[in-house]
Amino acid sequence: MPALAERLNRVSVSASVIMTIKARELGAQGIKVISLASGEPDFPSPPHAIEAAHQAALAGDTKYPPQDGTKRLKEAVQRKFKRDNNLDYALDEIMITNGGKQSIFNAFMATVDPGDEVLIPAPFWVSYAEMAKVAGGVPVTINCPQNNGFKLRPEDLDAAITPKTKWVMVNFPNNPTGAACSRAEMQAIAAVLMKHPHVWVMTDDMYEHLIYDGFEFCTIADVEPRLKDRTLTVNGASKTYAMTGWRVGFCGGPKALIKGMMNMQGQATAGVSTISQAAVAAALDGPQEFVRERAEEYRQRRDLVVDMLNAAPGISCHKPEGAFYVFPNIAGCIGKTSKGGRKIETDTDFAMALLEEKYVATVQGTAYGMSPYLRISYATNTENLREACGRIQEFCCELS
Amino acid sequence: MKLIADRLDRISPSLTIAMTAKARALKAAGKDVIGLSAGEPDFDTPRNVKDAAIAAIERGETKYTDVAGTLELRQAICAKFKRDHGIDYKPEEILVATGGKQVIFDALVATINPGDEAIIPAPCWVSYPDIVALAEGTPVIVQCGQNSGFKMTGEQLEAAITPKTKWLILNNPCNPTGAAYNAAEIKALTDVLMRHPHVWVFTDDIYEKLAYDGFKPATVLEVEPRLKDRTVTMNGCSKAYAMTGWRIGFAGAPISLIKAMDKLQSQSTSNTSSVSQAAAVEALTGPQDSIEDMRKVYERRRNLVVDMLNAAPGLRCHKPEGAFYVFPDMRGCIGKTTAAGKKIETDEDFTIALLEEVGVATVHGAAFLSPGHFRISYATSDDVLKEACTRIQNFCAGMK
Repeated sequence: MPALAERLNRVSVSASVIMTIKARELGAQGIKVISLASGEPDFPSPPHAIEAAHQAALAGDTKYPPQDGTKRLKEAVQRKFKRDNNLDYALDEIMITNGGKQSIFNAFMATVDPGDEVLIPAPFWVSYAEMAKVAGGVPVTINCPQNNGFKLRPEDLDAAITPKTKWVMVNFPNNPTGAACSRAEMQAIAAVLMKHPHVWVMTDDMYEHLIYDGFEFCTIADVEPRLKDRTLTVNGASKTYAMTGWRVGFCGGPKALIKGMMNMQGQATAGVSTISQAAVAAALDGPQEFVRERAEEYRQRRDLVVDMLNAAPGISCHKPEGAFYVFPNIAGCIGKTSKGGRKIETDTDFAMALLEEKYVATVQGTAYGMSPYLRISYATNTENLREACGRIQEFCCELS
Repeated sequence: MKLIADRLDRISPSLTIAMTAKARALKAAGKDVIGLSAGEPDFDTPRNVKDAAIAAIERGETKYTDVAGTLELRQAICAKFKRDHGIDYKPEEILVATGGKQVIFDALVATINPGDEAIIPAPCWVSYPDIVALAEGTPVIVQCGQNSGFKMTGEQLEAAITPKTKWLILNNPCNPTGAAYNAAEIKALTDVLMRHPHVWVFTDDIYEKLAYDGFKPATVLEVEPRLKDRTVTMNGCSKAYAMTGWRIGFAGAPISLIKAMDKLQSQSTSNTSSVSQAAAVEALTGPQDSIEDMRKVYERRRNLVVDMLNAAPGLRCHKPEGAFYVFPDMRGCIGKTTAAGKKIETDEDFTIALLEEVGVATVHGAAFLSPGHFRISYATSDDVLKEACTRIQNFCAGMK
């Protein structure tokens, strides 16, 4: 076997995937594992999207799609950006990708040369750093501590920018913390970027509609329109419409960037499934009320989970503005020993012991660039959440 | 700082897309254009496959799957490799991707280090050298002319191998020539590979079901099983089942390579659409009659097109074993002037004049790294093909 390419040695397998596989193995042994590790909605895809997929298949909409997406879907995305984000994108400033992930991958591969720096506020979705590395870039993390609500502080951003900075990632509501930025907070971030005209900004707005207690989502190109010519606005159908399996993401950005990304995608996968594109067009143009109803359901779950976790000794859980994650601090448990005799030195130890002793799958904070924390996804039903949080409380109470 | 990364500059701009865009513009201007440039079946996806997709959606199979594909689909792929070629793969040796293109991308980007060489027989689909170049490798193009049936010989392969050779990339049957290798012809190549244990082979068998006059394209591992630990056997649903829009490609390969490809794919797109995967299960395991029906139609069309092209002065058309392309030699027209007064110096002049003067869209040979030819796709109806070939005959006859 010839050695793998150097670029691949730089890449690690996602920790949430490892936890999910481990949980599945335990499940296969007949153990009732509750997984809070996965980042996908438990709701079904909307019926009108399903119907549109059905019609597309029957109508023979089964041929190669254009590399950048079908006209029908691109127009629906254009309307979505206008309606939800007050952003005007021309059709050649929009492209459709295999999940939001491929929008980010395309952008890095199309623009990052070896040594270019990508600034990533931490905690962060692991894939940002991995994709930057595949492209030969250098991920540089900026700590966003819990005492600032896990939000990016403008002075920290300013200090992190160097002449080699190519991109800044912005992801609010955030995976894994659920933190979101107000308009004023985003304005402060934008003001820093206005001082550094060589820096591009990529905003991953995947969780925009999962936001609670009347908090208002905002996206940077709307907050500071003068940044639009160096902003890539990434979004998708996975989280808003519970359409993870369909694999449809999309983005809006300057024409030159979109063109480079299209060249990249043309070499990697070509276009996105025509059936999935038809379904997502229907989701974007169809009724949106159920999105708000689901958000209310998520809010109730968040409140339940935050309250129950804060009742567990050694855990302190921040109440976030959005997404479907919480990111409790477990510093109070470090140095202790579990009932099963496992010494808890790190958040990885905690997550493993919790899985093996109480059969609750979570993901350790270190996978997201901040320790000692856990990421808990509450995209599962209330009964499961109550049971899982009860087990976590028990696990913590039994630590000695 | 410039926006676009150096790696994108290594990719040649797509000449096929340039032709397609020109044809579309003429059509939009009201000109009667016959398109023989597309590389996809004109048939629709079989009904049983569509129904299976719809049933899967109704069952809620709309969530993330394993990056490498559902177990059910990987098992169906194992059964396909066993049934068609007697190759034993285990499900963990299979990866499902977004089209055959992503299989190639995953395999090459996961293994090629700067300076590694990949041997590619030409005429070839230009994505092979482009993806090699994107991965910072060096494509080594071996010209295989019409006189050898557009196939590479063992001597040619032997002469091209160096200590830096990492891959041999085969495409059997071939896009753009339709040429296919039988078991003896593959054996001539595998004998060489057995003497060079550092060389891996990637065989793209996506057109395998489209072969004529009883010809049976052979795949590397049925001819030389000892190469299994350094072979990628790629296939997909696009051509055999007229499923281009669904975006399903797959491969069997040694576990260590599959794991690396899985890792790369997990950081670029994740799984391919769950709905398309369900459709692919039905395509591979359901009734196979549609393949034979399509194959017979293609065979008739191939005969029609080859006969009519050979009656055009200045053209010499090889009768290929498979796929749905022919690749006539047009060098007999070079130096002549068209009826509209255009001087033909190159294959590109020829195809542009053909499009502008008689409204037939084809792709010139340089787009497949073999100037002096052009590619015709006969994946369209007999009537359309007759009309197009008549126009080509008249175009050639009108030259001085």
